[in-house]
Amino acid sequence: MIQDALDFLTDSRSWWGRNGLVNLTWNHVRLSGAAVLAAVLVAIPPAVYLGHIRRGGIVAVGLVNLSRALPTFAVIAFVFPLSLQYGFGLGFWPTFVALFLLALPPIFVNAYTGVSEIGRDVVDAARAMGMREHEVLRRVELPAAMPLLVTGIRVSAVQVVATTTLGALVGFRCLGTPILQAIATRNDGQLIVAALLVAALSLLTEAVFGVLGSRLTPWARNRAVETKARVQHAA
Amino acid sequence: MFANGPDSFIWWDWVDRNTDKIWARTIEHLQLTGSSVAIGFVIAMAMAMISLRWRRAYGPLAAVAGGLYSIPSLALFGFLVPITGLGFRTAQIALVSYTLLILLRNIVAGIDAVPASVIEAANGMGYEPWRRFIAVDLRLATPAIVGGLRVATVTVIGLVTVAALVGSGGYGTFIEDGLSRARGFSTPIVVGGALSIAMAVLFDAAFVLLQRAVTPWARRGAAGGAHP
Amino acid sequence: MKISRLLLALLAVLALIAGACGDDDDSGTASGDGATEAPDGPAIRIGAQDFGESAILAEIYGQALEANGYVVEQVSVGGFRDVLLAAYDNGEVNFSPEYAASMLEFLNDGAGEATGDADETVELLQAELEPMGLVALRPSPAVDTNAFVVTQATSDELGITKLSDLPADGAGLTLGAPQDCETNPFCLPGLERVYGVDLSGDFVPLESSLVAESLAGDAVQVGVLFSTSGRIADEGWVLLEDDMGMLAADNVTPVVSQELLDAYGQELLDLIDEISAAIDTETLTELNKRYDIDREDPDDIAASFLEDAGLATES
Repeated sequence: MIQDALDFLTDSRSWWGRNGLVNLTWNHVRLSGAAVLAAVLVAIPPAVYLGHIRRGGIVAVGLVNLSRALPTFAVIAFVFPLSLQYGFGLGFWPTFVALFLLALPPIFVNAYTGVSEIGRDVVDAARAMGMREHEVLRRVELPAAMPLLVTGIRVSAVQVVATTTLGALVGFRCLGTPILQAIATRNDGQLIVAALLVAALSLLTEAVFGVLGSRLTPWARNRAVETKARVQHAA
Repeated sequence: MFANGPDSFIWWDWVDRNTDKIWARTIEHLQLTGSSVAIGFVIAMAMAMISLRWRRAYGPLAAVAGGLYSIPSLALFGFLVPITGLGFRTAQIALVSYTLLILLRNIVAGIDAVPASVIEAANGMGYEPWRRFIAVDLRLATPAIVGGLRVATVTVIGLVTVAALVGSGGYGTFIEDGLSRARGFSTPIVVGGALSIAMAVLFDAAFVLLQRAVTPWARRGAAGGAHP
Repeated sequence: MKISRLLLALLAVLALIAGACGDDDDSGTASGDGATEAPDGPAIRIGAQDFGESAILAEIYGQALEANGYVVEQVSVGGFRDVLLAAYDNGEVNFSPEYAASMLEFLNDGAGEATGDADETVELLQAELEPMGLVALRPSPAVDTNAFVVTQATSDELGITKLSDLPADGAGLTLGAPQDCETNPFCLPGLERVYGVDLSGDFVPLESSLVAESLAGDAVQVGVLFSTSGRIADEGWVLLEDDMGMLAADNVTPVVSQELLDAYGQELLDLIDEISAAIDTETLTELNKRYDIDREDPDDIAASFLEDAGLATES
């Protein structure tokens, strides 16, 4: 097995070309990034707005929870024939839709919770100081919600990166492809290399967002926020 | 579009013909989910208690659980197959690994969140350390623990659909079936997908009710409330 | 320490759960109940892989055996041959409709021993199977091998109707094939070895069922399908002729466990041979078409086939 792994790693064909690890990793990152970005763009504005007016939380969170229950494989399989029928091709779009739906819940819920759970007294004080609504949002609520928001994006991104491998089942050339190949050809070495690459990518994503989070919120030494973030993150 | 046929969204004829298969797959899906979450919970609980007794152990334990969690499901299934054989057992091992991180983190966070004052008060009231742990700490940590079980269960239900690729049964079998026909056959995919969603939603709701039942003092806060 | 006691208790609970779940796998043993003529012995557990043809064949054998009083269980073994072999090992499967040449090459790590002669290939296969406690039975005349397929348009454009027509350098053709194509002697290595054609430049690994979709959607120009796929005729695609004989005898061959044969003997053997003989390539293709395109279910397809073949009742 170790021999297989070394053979695979030292074969230059494993790295370059359309089925090479470099291209596959790039595709993988590309799709993950697109899905998370789309989720951020779609989820954050309504979540922040609802959080600000402190309305509709239960309904919104409930709906979003439903999308969390969607098994990714089922979504991919379902979109696949539609994608073919309407000329969107094989791998990318079915996987993208599924990953987008996967990425939504943590981002939406954390954004909403982050904004809505800021103490009323803080918000009232800001209003009393003469700030208008959008200023309250921009200068008080958003910064305070940052830790949770970033945590949400982080949780999302890590899950998406790991789940993108399923795209290989419908022909998307990503890091899932060598995994499937390795299983079919009983090449444990290749399997381990590919799996470790995905795992490493996940952990890297986690680390990058962790750093990003602390950079964006240098004031967040607040224990309560950390605990809440930790517990929210545990979900 | 008008007559219900093989190319419709759901071909009811197929559903009629396959009701016993649908039932069998449901049982398989339930068995796999239930056993994996149960075993995962026991292991995670053990890990949590080790971490509470020896603080230093938490880091490595969480790292192991986290590492397992980050391995893509396909790879873990594929890797285990030559070692552990037929689908069900293999899938179970992989699924248990996936529950560990979520459960461990939630249990520890929940127990950690119990205020020191409460613990002191309980000790002061004469509780032995072990009984206090069960009667007070665990009870107050229940929302977090049930929250973790909720997420773990819903996650596992989704992963079981992928496990069908290594022969574990469950709703994923229908999804595979649908993918394998010309131009995709939407009926089994929709049925398989809808049923897994339904199962996830039902379990989710059940856990919410469980949480309410076990914590009648309606505790909201860091672990409850808007926590998904 | 109190906590360690709790830990021990947890371990005990864990052991109980694990033990209870261990019996969840199907472990039926026939004791002759149900059918009065049922011979005494283990249930026949047929392993079917996750593509239509495998399921259809499994149902054909299964239903015919059932009609003769055997207790039959259908077991799904997912998408990889590894799982099937592991299942044989655990006793969870003791029968499977396999393909002689492909299984041989899987077991001998692509050594290229299979030939165009069915009996020869099966003999070699048997040599590989024996240490595993398995037996390859008489091959069926039905052959399902790799088919290199192009659309009519591609065929006209490049003027290819045979494998030897393929340009040696691949000429930028995208090849869609199952994941094992790079090591399967009947896929890329075979093309290279026999025809001197290198299509590895632009190879897209795909689940076998998706290759047809990719071909239809023009995402690939050359697709590797099953030669018995009903889709080829339906879409009017061109199956490139294997004019230099790269492909070997991929006859449908039942593989059973020695244990099963020991339990039931010659009677079972004869029955299985009879069923195998009743299937041919043309019929198999027709049955596949009914699955793929008409969306019929494997058990219905098998049932009607057996009726037409006169095997639906006891023979």
